[in-house]
Amino acid sequence: MNLDLTWRLLRGGGRKGMLGTWLTLGAVAVSTMLLLFAVTANFAFQARADRGAWRVPVAAASGKAVAVEATRYDYVRGRKITVVDLAALNGRAPAPPGLARFPAPGEAWLSPALAELAGRLPADQLAARFPARTGVLGEEALIHPEELVAVVGHRPDAPEMTAARSDEWTAGSRPTQVADLVGRPSEDARGYQILALIAGVLMVVPLLVFGGAAARLTVARRDQRLATLRLVGATPGQVVGMTVAEAVIVAFAGALAGTAAYALAVPLLTRIEISGGPWFAADLLPHPLVPAACLVAVPLLVGLSAVAGLRRVVVSPLGVAKRETPPAMRWFRALALLAVLAVVPMLGQATSVTVVAVVIGLAFLCVNLVGPWVVGIIGRVTAATARRPAGLLAGRRLVDDPRSAWRTVSGVAMTGFVAGFLALLTPGALATGATPGELRVLVPEGSPSAVAEQARERLGKAGVTATVRRSDKLVGVTPAGHADPATMDRARTALAGLVPGRTPTSDADHEHDNVQIIDDIRSGTVVVLSVSFLVAIASAGITAASSILDRRQTYGLLRLAGTPLTVLDRARRTETLVPLAVMGGGSIAVGVFCGLPFMSGAPDGGGLTMLLVCVGLGFAGVLGAGAASRPLLRSVTADPAPRPD
Amino acid sequence: MNDVLVGQALTKRFGQTVALGGVDLAVRAGEAVAIMGPSGSGKSTLLHCLAGIMKPDGGEVRLLGERIDGMRERARSALRRTRFGFVFQFGQLLPELAAEENVALPLMLSGVPRAKAVRQARSWFGPLGLGGMETRRPGELSGGQAQRVAIARALVTKPAVVFADEPTGALDQTTGQETMRLLVEATRGNGAGLVVVTHDPNVASWCERTVEVRDGLLAVGGVRT
Repeated sequence: MNLDLTWRLLRGGGRKGMLGTWLTLGAVAVSTMLLLFAVTANFAFQARADRGAWRVPVAAASGKAVAVEATRYDYVRGRKITVVDLAALNGRAPAPPGLARFPAPGEAWLSPALAELAGRLPADQLAARFPARTGVLGEEALIHPEELVAVVGHRPDAPEMTAARSDEWTAGSRPTQVADLVGRPSEDARGYQILALIAGVLMVVPLLVFGGAAARLTVARRDQRLATLRLVGATPGQVVGMTVAEAVIVAFAGALAGTAAYALAVPLLTRIEISGGPWFAADLLPHPLVPAACLVAVPLLVGLSAVAGLRRVVVSPLGVAKRETPPAMRWFRALALLAVLAVVPMLGQATSVTVVAVVIGLAFLCVNLVGPWVVGIIGRVTAATARRPAGLLAGRRLVDDPRSAWRTVSGVAMTGFVAGFLALLTPGALATGATPGELRVLVPEGSPSAVAEQARERLGKAGVTATVRRSDKLVGVTPAGHADPATMDRARTALAGLVPGRTPTSDADHEHDNVQIIDDIRSGTVVVLSVSFLVAIASAGITAASSILDRRQTYGLLRLAGTPLTVLDRARRTETLVPLAVMGGGSIAVGVFCGLPFMSGAPDGGGLTMLLVCVGLGFAGVLGAGAASRPLLRSVTADPAPRPD
Repeated sequence: MNDVLVGQALTKRFGQTVALGGVDLAVRAGEAVAIMGPSGSGKSTLLHCLAGIMKPDGGEVRLLGERIDGMRERARSALRRTRFGFVFQFGQLLPELAAEENVALPLMLSGVPRAKAVRQARSWFGPLGLGGMETRRPGELSGGQAQRVAIARALVTKPAVVFADEPTGALDQTTGQETMRLLVEATRGNGAGLVVVTHDPNVASWCERTVEVRDGLLAVGGVRT
């Protein structure tokens, strides 16, 4: 319908009109790229969980068992090695993922990273812990490319496969008779998926807001023209059709560009280390249906947003042309936020993740709903108390169009919400900084002295000076002096297999997982904040530029009547800064409030530092993005004789 | 000689086009001068040069004996704000400000406190027939009313010269005549000079003097009779 006319309106918008179209296109491209990232990240964690599942044995029903499987963790140079012990019970044992066949007794298959490390370090520090290498594990067996994994074959009656092991899941899993090697995702893999889902929600909501803002950007510049079309007799349907067609064409191009940009960014994204390693590129390349869905959904959403933005024009063709005072926004927006916040204290660490995600998502959306209303109030106060023209202009602008002012600051306010939420979640004092110290291994009842004697002998042969102590249940080995990593690894290697199926470990090893989780939450937070910032600053820049384009005539005439450029700029800055300060602060407070039920221990300095850095960067970024459009302001006001568009 | 504004031998080119080919024009205090001419004749360029919006390529512009054509943009900007008033055909009122705030704005820009500026602004509403319109927004005013608010804004700083570019271009005949009468009377009452660019003889008839610009040159009336 009227596609030809739409196309001509789009093309014929003039240089400034085209600039707006390009801005929209850029905004949609950025949104699509980040949206793909947020969605794919969840699939990527799913893929990791699936690939790691086979190492978590699930007991077979009686009579169905084909193999025995056990796992334990060993450490080298502070890195964790997952050792999978396997023994076939009969000929039906299937080949494990990443292997061509079931490993025979005495065989060892190492992951590429472990094989590389074993070749690099002296054999008495790593390689001697395992039987001679039979082959290299394929990617399907690994959670990430850098993972250290060893698969060792045994006889089913070997001590490794029969001796009792620790029940703690952090130490691995004890020998289990299994019917297949499918397994189930591990607890921590599921934990990561949940965190990824929360991160996804935190990233997607500002993206949707941003995308919507981008859509209205096209409409905002055209509403005058469309109102004119309406005045000359175009039906509401025709006006809507043309605008939506225009917005959708631009959005589709933007979505395509964003998808391409995402594909190009994948090699960079794979370097983000989570659970101790980077990603396979395949994990971050979404299933073709995902980008396909984006290419449909993004233009659709942008189109819908355009319709919403246009409703006023369509309902009253004179509304836009005459620029009447828009109806005031209602206080019940605030009520919606309060209602959601009232639910928050009922949440806790035991609440189902879906409920948490929904409540946080709702709180997030409500902040966005309340934003314009609060901006309107701020504007009224600013205008009433202003003594200088910049303040008066800024205040009146805020009252006049709180939504557009909110769009400028919403990104940072949303980031403030995220940062406030995460500031409390960053676990603090989990890592006690334990020294490598003593390697301990649990021993079978009644054998401590024999095992201790054997340990002395082995250490002596390996040339490691160490004190060996024993108690009822364990043997402890402390290498002499300040043990360097190489000595520790020689001691570990010497002690490998001392007690079948058990690995001597230190306190530092036990903290390895905790430290890893803290690191991962930090990395995740940095990723989420980076995305939010990118959105916030892009959104601020685009809004600043489009608001200049929208008001170029007013600015031009003001300048002509002798208003210094600095006053115009100061008004623009005030218009952004005042709501930014109020809304940014408010959003951080709401974010902190939503994070309270999930707080574990006192918030640490790291989280607060991050919050402060976030606030600092947010202000600087938005002001910078606004300042970047100053040349545009200069150029649109340079024309001494503005004419109607 | 009580000329407030004098332009001498003004020239201005845009690329190959000669917009002004050496124009002389003088305006006395309390005098209204109409600049007429067909589209593209250079009448708007002349107004822009006289008002310090544009720098002429040659010639000079003096305000009360002081040269203003060589001033820097910042100084000309301050001059436009304090010594000149402007009335345009459209779009000169800020839609987000109330009528009285629009009028008070130039005073506030010059550092007058807001309350005092608004008080001064209000004093113009009665004489211009705008009583009761003080707090209305431009979108709630008729074209004629908006134009009278613009006149108040142009005069509120007590300027030496008021420049009007097609001030009635967007108004009907009757409203236009009424607006011109108010513009001329208010400007004269204020002792300011008035320069009106128009192509409408009815508008020009309100002025004491009419000059005609043709192809960048004054055809008639540049020198006072």
